[in-house]
Amino acid sequence: MASPFRHRGGRLVADFDAEEVAVVRHVLELTRAFVAPERPETGDPFLDLVAGLGDEVDPQEPADPALARLLPPASREDAEQAAEFRRLTEHGLRQRKAATIATAIAALDGATPPTLEIDLDQARALAVALTDARLILGERLGLRTDEDSERLHELLDAALAGEVELDDATAQKMAYYDFLSWLQESVTGALLQGR
Amino acid sequence: MPIDTPQPPAPPTGPQTTPQQQGGVAVLERPEADTPWVTLVWNDPVNLMSYVTWVFQTHFGYPLARAEALMMDVHTKGRAVVSTGSREKCEADTEAMHGYGLWATFQKDD
Repeated sequence: MASPFRHRGGRLVADFDAEEVAVVRHVLELTRAFVAPERPETGDPFLDLVAGLGDEVDPQEPADPALARLLPPASREDAEQAAEFRRLTEHGLRQRKAATIATAIAALDGATPPTLEIDLDQARALAVALTDARLILGERLGLRTDEDSERLHELLDAALAGEVELDDATAQKMAYYDFLSWLQESVTGALLQGR
Repeated sequence: MPIDTPQPPAPPTGPQTTPQQQGGVAVLERPEADTPWVTLVWNDPVNLMSYVTWVFQTHFGYPLARAEALMMDVHTKGRAVVSTGSREKCEADTEAMHGYGLWATFQKDD
């Protein structure tokens, strides 16, 4: 059973069993694949640069609302400004998101269940990576307003109390969302505390 | 409480990159250099209050009290101005906020 993170010698330590680590890792791996740039890197900076120069099609606002939320328009009024910003920043943003999530996954791979010990850079990457994962899950659960979020928690409580029946897919998404929210609160709380 | 201002995991890079100058792509008209711009962060139902506070502390280096006040503005008013300055600064801050998963926009300060 997972415990919140606590500071120890400039690092953060929590209890995590192997299954809990595997669940978080799985979700982050899916998140990384979802947000990573569609044009894969070759690993050669020169080839990547040349490949990028050939892109003549400007990126459009993603049709998938979850991806659109991860890569949102930088203006709600000026479509031209938003399009210019997207053209200049989207590829780099996706690269950096994928790299941050990869750092978080590597941190989880260093877990020694029932202990997860991470350094502060890994903790920062985990906090950011969990945000992207939760934004995707939140979109899939239809969370658009704070009221939606409150309704979700009430529904989850009712389901846990056996008062309502949820279909398996919804129940699983809600359980993941709830667990990832708890985990993010834990790591963010520890980061805010300083050492 | 000692306030850390650690570097974000994914530091922003300036959005003004060379492709704009190449291939004859039209450059948008720039306003007067001294026209102030603002970066706005919008409320959403997913981001945690603690996380938003941490992002404002970490990226902008704001003291905890200011970071918390801005977070509460976002939460209760639906949005808040989190930075002001040149267009380039607000573009960079917007890009950084998107890196953190916050929904930011930038505009001229009317």
